[in-house]
Amino acid sequence: MNMDLSRRTDNVPTLEVKHLSRFFGGVAAVNNVSIAFTPQRITALIGPNGAGKTTLFNLIGGYIAPTSGAILLGTGDLTTRKPWEIARLGIGRLFQDVRVFGKLTTLENIVVAFPNQVGEMFWQPIFQRAQMMKMERPNIERAQALLEFVTLADKANTVAENLSFGQQKLLAIARLLAMDAKILLLDEPASGVHPAVLDSVMDLMSRLVDQGKTIIFIEHNISVVLELAHWVYVLDDSEVVAFGLPDEVIHDRVTREAYLGV
Amino acid sequence: MNYLLHILVMIGIYLILTQSLNLVMGYTGLLSVCHAAFYGIGAYASTLLMTSWGVNFFVALIASIVISMLLSFVVSIPTLRLRGDYFVLGTLGFQAIIFGIMYNWISFTRGPYGIPGIPSPSLFGFVFDSPSSYVSLTTAFALLTVGFVYLITSSQFGRVLKTIREDEIASQAIGKDPLFFKTTSFALGAGVAAIAGSLYAGYMRYIDPTSFTIAESLFLITILAIGGSGNIKGPIVGTVILVVLPEVLRFLQIPDTVAPNIRMMLYALALILLVIYRPRGLAGEYGFE
Amino acid sequence: MLPQLLANGLCAGALYAIVALGFGIIYRSTGVFHFAHGAIYTIAAYLTYLMLVATNIWWPVAVAVALLGAAFSGVLAELLVYRPIQKRRASPLAALIGSFGIYLFAVNLIALIAGNETKVLRPGVDITFEVGSVILTRFQLLGFATFVVTLVAFFLFKKSRLGRLLTAFSDNPALVEVLGWNASVIRIAIFAAGSLLAGISAIISVMDIGMDPHVGMSALLISAVAVVVGGVKLFEGAIVGGVVLGIVQSLVVWQFSVRWMDVFTFSILVLFLVLRPQGLLGKKVRLEEV
Repeated sequence: MNMDLSRRTDNVPTLEVKHLSRFFGGVAAVNNVSIAFTPQRITALIGPNGAGKTTLFNLIGGYIAPTSGAILLGTGDLTTRKPWEIARLGIGRLFQDVRVFGKLTTLENIVVAFPNQVGEMFWQPIFQRAQMMKMERPNIERAQALLEFVTLADKANTVAENLSFGQQKLLAIARLLAMDAKILLLDEPASGVHPAVLDSVMDLMSRLVDQGKTIIFIEHNISVVLELAHWVYVLDDSEVVAFGLPDEVIHDRVTREAYLGV
Repeated sequence: MNYLLHILVMIGIYLILTQSLNLVMGYTGLLSVCHAAFYGIGAYASTLLMTSWGVNFFVALIASIVISMLLSFVVSIPTLRLRGDYFVLGTLGFQAIIFGIMYNWISFTRGPYGIPGIPSPSLFGFVFDSPSSYVSLTTAFALLTVGFVYLITSSQFGRVLKTIREDEIASQAIGKDPLFFKTTSFALGAGVAAIAGSLYAGYMRYIDPTSFTIAESLFLITILAIGGSGNIKGPIVGTVILVVLPEVLRFLQIPDTVAPNIRMMLYALALILLVIYRPRGLAGEYGFE
Repeated sequence: MLPQLLANGLCAGALYAIVALGFGIIYRSTGVFHFAHGAIYTIAAYLTYLMLVATNIWWPVAVAVALLGAAFSGVLAELLVYRPIQKRRASPLAALIGSFGIYLFAVNLIALIAGNETKVLRPGVDITFEVGSVILTRFQLLGFATFVVTLVAFFLFKKSRLGRLLTAFSDNPALVEVLGWNASVIRIAIFAAGSLLAGISAIISVMDIGMDPHVGMSALLISAVAVVVGGVKLFEGAIVGGVVLGIVQSLVVWQFSVRWMDVFTFSILVLFLVLRPQGLLGKKVRLEEV
């Protein structure tokens, strides 16, 4: 399904959080946040450090449980699902610290992410080895195509921990595509990345949304937000304080006070 | 000659133990300090089935695998949900409890008196009671184990285990259920360790709890830390070195009263130096980095 | 009968609490599962024996040498093993494996020098005192008094500036460094203090009941269980856990037999891990934060 990388992803359900709150020992990290993320568009989350942006991602991804509120995907309820279940429903996450599998090669990092592989159950490598091997070949081809897509084709056999930070980000995004994520949660995709790679990352994001993916990203770099985002939410002190079109929001007084401090 | 055969039998048994621990520790990144407990469970389960119920060795062996795997869930299901060191503590507790039961439930296990008179394994009338026949038995099982661990790790299953070892959160993020894979890996390790226990009982024809202590669990970890883990050859290198080394020391005529202590100090020194300077061990791929 | 059992349990638990507090401080603040804490305990025990029997020195000097030896060994473990491991940002489990190594080395070295057999320092029966309806030995009273002194000292320390620094370091070592403190010096101090506590417990215990090279292992295991039972996230957890374990063990011995004491102790460990991983003192937390 990923072989043809130019194919559009259709029927992406809407991801929505409703009155979502999370308290840590009485302190709100996310407080009564309600957002419906427009499918097949790029939404940016901006705001100062500690505003609750990453916590919101952790809540959506199932890594922490909300104190109250709900997380919905289309008509389905994600609120109590486990992280791996949420990932399988097509919500992929790029971590701020990337989290590639350091000892695995770049290619292996991607191949492992394909869902439902024959050979993942421990008896299959013994009793269905032929079938397992047969399925592996097209998977490797798809993985190589994905590597090419993210401009890492020449690094296929490099151990992931030896890639640069920016290359690891590209790899992590390719991994999300391999798991067939339709909604991508990207935590600071542009930070810590070499300027040359930054262009690749930004280019990749716009190509992905052209294909019909939904992208939600956290970003501090305002020019990246202005260039990519279709819609922006500003979080400050655990709440949504402003939202709208990037131009309007960035020039809004509330945003400037909350975020830019100017 | 018999002496050499004895060493070969012990290498076979320890290969089974270390390769099974390799699955848990080297591939999945779980530090289990109760591997000797599963070794003991295998030995006691087979022995009791053979001596009390007259079950054939090979049937008892299979039963002991099942029992050991079922008991592994007692530790893994509750503790694997928690952070890493809680699993270490849980396995430590399990090790101490299993040893306590083997040692103290005298009406069931004969406790410190041990169980003598264990029958030698027999298959279709052939009895494995000579050292040479036993070498073929343990070698066959060791090869089966190495083959089994190789097959299941050189696969999609093995690849998922490695992602859990590398970064469990990222593994969840690509849609793998770590609890399922960790529980499976731990159960398989426990089942294979039971094979080693059964073979040990059938070979020595006498068992007591002192073979299955926490010190034995730590010794198995030492073998993997020295030889290396996360691939097939690391545990083989470690096992051969650590099983043969005592014999080398004996050859050097170090008196028996101090030999065990000197041996353990050498192990300890190797362990410390390797964990600092070469965490992957002599031939391994992974070392808790 | 019951008051006597509770008193025995409390006195045993007092010594557990001291060694467990040392283990707990190290574990909580450095993240090192200090398996070698058991070796430090054994070292203190044998130094006491060596000083008292071989040199026949005045006992306070013997005690001082043993305590200094314990603290020094703890610092040595940090400098020679844990620091290089930490430098290469290895997983905490690597430190644990290094710690096994230290334990094995030290205990076998002691066995090589002093032999594997049990050594006793106090022949015959100890002097006893009647306290109400309860009869206590001299060493039980000494142990309990030391426990009280240690407790007072610990709480005074915790309230002090250095104590607050320790708490801050446990929560966030990087932050403490930003504030201008040297993290490696703090770690050395933590290992010295933790080892000192192991030494205190060891000396009182082995003067009373004697020693073999493996005494440290049970002290270590008890410490680990006590820390989990009391609560890993608080230093006080080890104290509460140690006392509770002492009392429970005393009751188990009475109701069942001394044979089943270890099985009960570790069943308690497993039960806590399953049902209350935050320990007795810990606040209810969700799994993902444990």
